[in-house]
Amino acid sequence: MSVDTSASATAEAKEAKIKVEKMPFGRWMRVVGWRHIVAIIMVIWALFPVLYVINLAFSGGNTLTAACPPDRTGLAALLCLVPNNLSLDNFTAVLTSTQWPFAIWFRNTVILATLNSSLALLMGACAAFAFSRLRFKGRRMGLLTLMLVQMFPAVLALTAIFILLQSIGNVFPPFGLRSIWGLLLVYLGGALGVNTFLMKGYFDTIPVDIDESARIDGAGHVKIFFGLIMRLALPILVVVFFVSFTSTFNELPMAQQILPDPDNTTLAVGLRSLVADPLRQQWGLMAAGGLMAAIPLLVVFAFTQRSLTTGLTAGAVKG
Amino acid sequence: MAPVVLDKINKVYENGFHAVRDLSIDVADGEFLVLVGPSGCGKSTALRMVAGLEDISTGDLLIGGRRVNDVDPQGRDIAMVFQSYALYPHMSVRDNIAYGLKLRKMPKDLIEQRISKAAEMLELTPLLDRKPKQLSGGQRQRVAMGRSIVREPQVFLMDEPLSNLDAKLRVQMRAEISAVVRSLNTTTLYVTHDQTEAMTMGDRMAVMKAGILQQLGTPSECYDTPVNVFVAQFVGSPPMNLVMGEIVDGPDGLAVRKGHALMKIPDATVSARPALKSYAGKKVVVGVRSEDMEDANLARDPDPTRRLKGKVTLTEALGSEIVVHFTFPGEKVDTADTKLMEKESGGGEVHVGPELGVTWVASFAPRSRVRMGDDIEIAVDVERAHFFDPDTSQAIWT
Repeated sequence: MSVDTSASATAEAKEAKIKVEKMPFGRWMRVVGWRHIVAIIMVIWALFPVLYVINLAFSGGNTLTAACPPDRTGLAALLCLVPNNLSLDNFTAVLTSTQWPFAIWFRNTVILATLNSSLALLMGACAAFAFSRLRFKGRRMGLLTLMLVQMFPAVLALTAIFILLQSIGNVFPPFGLRSIWGLLLVYLGGALGVNTFLMKGYFDTIPVDIDESARIDGAGHVKIFFGLIMRLALPILVVVFFVSFTSTFNELPMAQQILPDPDNTTLAVGLRSLVADPLRQQWGLMAAGGLMAAIPLLVVFAFTQRSLTTGLTAGAVKG
Repeated sequence: MAPVVLDKINKVYENGFHAVRDLSIDVADGEFLVLVGPSGCGKSTALRMVAGLEDISTGDLLIGGRRVNDVDPQGRDIAMVFQSYALYPHMSVRDNIAYGLKLRKMPKDLIEQRISKAAEMLELTPLLDRKPKQLSGGQRQRVAMGRSIVREPQVFLMDEPLSNLDAKLRVQMRAEISAVVRSLNTTTLYVTHDQTEAMTMGDRMAVMKAGILQQLGTPSECYDTPVNVFVAQFVGSPPMNLVMGEIVDGPDGLAVRKGHALMKIPDATVSARPALKSYAGKKVVVGVRSEDMEDANLARDPDPTRRLKGKVTLTEALGSEIVVHFTFPGEKVDTADTKLMEKESGGGEVHVGPELGVTWVASFAPRSRVRMGDDIEIAVDVERAHFFDPDTSQAIWT
């Protein structure tokens, strides 16, 4: 029996396409539909505060209810999320204010976050390399202890850190209280912990054969570390950088104690101080400042986005 | 190109585990030596000690006449091919191969020259700009070899390079590696657990068990004259068949009783193994390889005493031969070595039907008509039988 492969046969086959049966609505709802509903609810839940802040920032007013007066109810209340008269007053006020030096806050925070992330990355990577590749007494216990001890928030040791910084300041003023370098020292103190744990997990997935092969080829520890391991571990390095950057950016308690003076403090402390005085709460300015403060985070996220998805799960699996 | 001498090398780990015991091997210049043995026998540890990746506990290691115990791997002028190839994933094939040369600050044109020569030899020229993840297993293998070849070292070290390849590719790469290494005439140490690789590739084999060297010799020596039960069963596939036998001093010379059969030991064997005489009346381990037995109906040897009577439990028709599993009354050999071999092959014998005593595997000519369940007579080539002391497992010679 010969197979009819002529053009007419294939044309007929194309015409008689199988019609896929559509799922009945009830079944669709049970299997797929409800997920959409949950997703929509969660998205609204997550985005609503952001929309409110954006609205407030662009509304020009300085009170919480500036954009959305309480006398509006029902659908009108929802609609006021969409700003109807855009104004950049809040932005200009924040940027030009002499009482609230936004630019200084911005500069301090970016410097702190970048330096902290980079240095923590380097220190953590070196420690992770040692824990992953080298064999020494106390290796297993050491890693666990390091991580557990650093899980305690630094705020618990606030008094001790305050006194420490004061003493350091007596000897070497640039690194004492009321200086961003002092704050950087405090942040770096907590740098190892979870970062090392994550990175060690990822380094463990890089086969040791590669190290050994490079050793036989003539590479020393430094060349192996920077040339090979760091290159191969890029996904987890990106994750650690991003997590570090974000947490430094948002950190409040330590920054508040070490940099209390609004003339030289971080964004978090500065924006907080805008609404600190209960008689003069400037929500509009804070919203505008907060939106502008988010820009560096968005920039870092844009650059690291692709690596984040691979890196986030990769480091977490092998412990 | 240099001779490698291992002189009473020992490796003891911190927890007390003695991985390699008094290993002494003289590898001649340009020789291809295969270290073979079951998993955990210390062959990889020995290789890594030669490479410098593990410290030597006691003993001397000489490469090219120079004592290198305390020399770093890069100073030993060796190159190693790993089981997992250890290619650098973020570099192209060309950069992978050039890595060691760049580290040694070789001039660029010399590097290019060596790379193109190696690429030609290994048929890698069209792949030079690809990344490792775009290559197949066999291609990655060749890149790993290329990386070792361009260094033009004194010694090649290979740690089970074919283990990660599928069966057919393995056979092909076996021949390729042999050809490449021999054309370069470099001393090579090759580690494998596959005795077929060892037999086909090596000039000499070093069979190891539990850290101790069992036999060092050419493949034929290890196959034809194994020094103990372990080597006898490890080398050769299917493994040598063993049974307990009793030496009987009869009226016309020595004979061996295996189960119900009493076979005369040929004079040639007795003169080659004079110690057999001292075993008269005692038990010995008798070993017969599967190809030294044939279907009695087709046998060329008409001697009726050289027959075993048994029942077929399984037949495997391979086309070129028929592998026949049969059982006959006899005493099974149960030593630590045989248990180890059973474990290595993954479990004990498969039994179909009743077991009469001992199950052997014979390799019959394809013309044989035996079937499962048949009662058969097997002609045994007693000239090629092996005898071992049951207590020491050593081969009985003088």
